[in-house]
Amino acid sequence: MIEVNNFTKIYKLSRKQMSKEKTKFKQKVAVKDVSFVAEDGEIFGLLGPNGAGKTTTLRTIATLLRPTEGSIKVNGFDVVKDSAKVRSTIGFLTNDLKLETHFTPTYTMSFFGKLYGMDEMTINRRMDDLFTYFGITPFKDQKISELSTGMSQKLSIAVSLIHDPQVVIFDEPTNGLDIITAKAVTEYLIHLKEEGKLVVVSTHIMEVAERLCDRIAIIINGQKVADGSVAEIIGQEDKESLEDAFFSLYSRYAKEVD
Amino acid sequence: MIWVLVKKELHRVFSDRRLVFSTFILPALSIYVIYSLMGSMIGERIVDQQEHISNVVVYNAPPSFLEFYDQRDSDYGLDFNGSNLDIEEEKDGLKYGSIDLILVFSDDFDRRFEDYETVALQAEVTTFYNPSEEYSQAARSKVVRELLADYEHDLLVKRFGDASYATAFGVDITNENNQVMDPAKATGTGLSMILPMLIAMLLFAGAMGIGLDTIAGEKERGTMATLLMTPISRETIALGKVIGLAIIAIMSALSSFIAIIASLPNSGMMMTGGEVSITSLALTPLMYLQLLLVMLTLVGIYVGLICITSVRAKSVKEAGTYITPIYMLVMFAAFSTIFQSGDPELYQYAIPILGNVLAIKRLLTFELLMGEFLLTILVSILLTGLLIAMITRSFNNEKVMLNN
Repeated sequence: MIEVNNFTKIYKLSRKQMSKEKTKFKQKVAVKDVSFVAEDGEIFGLLGPNGAGKTTTLRTIATLLRPTEGSIKVNGFDVVKDSAKVRSTIGFLTNDLKLETHFTPTYTMSFFGKLYGMDEMTINRRMDDLFTYFGITPFKDQKISELSTGMSQKLSIAVSLIHDPQVVIFDEPTNGLDIITAKAVTEYLIHLKEEGKLVVVSTHIMEVAERLCDRIAIIINGQKVADGSVAEIIGQEDKESLEDAFFSLYSRYAKEVD
Repeated sequence: MIWVLVKKELHRVFSDRRLVFSTFILPALSIYVIYSLMGSMIGERIVDQQEHISNVVVYNAPPSFLEFYDQRDSDYGLDFNGSNLDIEEEKDGLKYGSIDLILVFSDDFDRRFEDYETVALQAEVTTFYNPSEEYSQAARSKVVRELLADYEHDLLVKRFGDASYATAFGVDITNENNQVMDPAKATGTGLSMILPMLIAMLLFAGAMGIGLDTIAGEKERGTMATLLMTPISRETIALGKVIGLAIIAIMSALSSFIAIIASLPNSGMMMTGGEVSITSLALTPLMYLQLLLVMLTLVGIYVGLICITSVRAKSVKEAGTYITPIYMLVMFAAFSTIFQSGDPELYQYAIPILGNVLAIKRLLTFELLMGEFLLTILVSILLTGLLIAMITRSFNNEKVMLNN
């Protein structure tokens, strides 16, 4: 379970960043006063345009960033006070996390398994399962640099799941993946949900949100403007599709902030 | 858990043939080749100078000199020639190296010498030489110190009619064993000139290449973020990097060190100006332990400096820019001990890096006091601790680690 309470994240901008963002302010509010609860056994989506604050929110849940205000708890552990415990219960998947291409998949999996405090037998069993599921087994002793893009993407996912985490966070799950890998990944996310795990994804693609997510929160300009199931959100906005509902919300809230 | 990280760092290097070659084999090989080459070139130059026959042009040579030289010419390795040209023209030959020395005897040299009690002007020999030419400088020194000194003595013997009148005293005539030294300390003194500098620089160079990549490179490639997602504490990750790098730095320095020793038969002349063998340097076990500790703590400072640079930089390229002034500082500290003469002050041992290099130097000449040793070690450990604390702090800084 993830509980996000009044989460606010403010970045301090360097002079260079200020000119890049064309702003005179020395800080930028990336996320403002966002709260939501995501339960075990569901796929929860953060939907919003690029730069809305989705990645910041997910990175903070994953303890890579610290909240400026508010609090976030994962399975009851605070992301600041108990960050190590939070990290041991989550698997964080994003295209920003890369693997050292010099090593083999087997070495990489066992290295990360050890860092999660797993014993050799458990690591091997888990590695077999994941390698079989993602079709990595024939390539397990080749260098990662020799693998195809799709295969190394699948390996990155397998590595983040080595410790069988209760909560899986996936930033833009299908972004940059080839279509076959993307399908394998979405199927695996559903499989995780069926196992009773909590899956949190961020996306700017309506189709992904509609097809995959049980509940979504729409984030625009760092603020949560709606949440609920896809049907509920469409109903609230009195529209035909999620896309129409989203743009109706966007035209209202994007202006408000400007 | 820290050993899982250290082992990974070592595995990364040792399973990569290119890194093994560039970190351990290439530096050692180039040191061996360059030192051997330089050593034999310097050796050849010394032999060449000894064998060179100097070309000396003489004006106004008096009969007494010609007579003296005829009897003795084979003793000096000089080639004397008279000249019909103007002195100024012959000076051009000096400038361009075709002539090594011009010797001009004053007019009426013999008469002035003989009538020394009545003449107003003393007999004089004027020399012209070119200090920027080694052959010329050597020729002047040989002619003035040996040939002309012997010639003067010869004239004085004639004047007084008895050799004992012309000699005030002799030096070491009956004493053949005028050199008193401890062979171990002599070797130490020779090595202490150059070895501390080499150790200081090799240790840094060994750590630098890999050290910049180990953190800045991992940040740049995005592999650091993967590591930060594990439940391992940031402190452990930082320490794992530091220890892994320290081991690699020591091994790299060791391979370079073996290359230096292997090149000693050829390069000993260059490094110490004499024959050197490392086996005649007999340190006590305690001194070896001290040497090891001083070097280990020096590695600690180096690795700390490299890691903090690497962690604050956004890319390997940026880290490379930051490390250059630090490398210059290390070189400065290393070189400064070469020119140090006399006993150093105690405070110098408290200056990081400089103190370590100084301690190694004094250790090799058997002059390092326990207090000085302890001060060096203490300062090094404190600084390393401070650097590690700074590295850990940076690891906890999201702005630094995620390149935001």
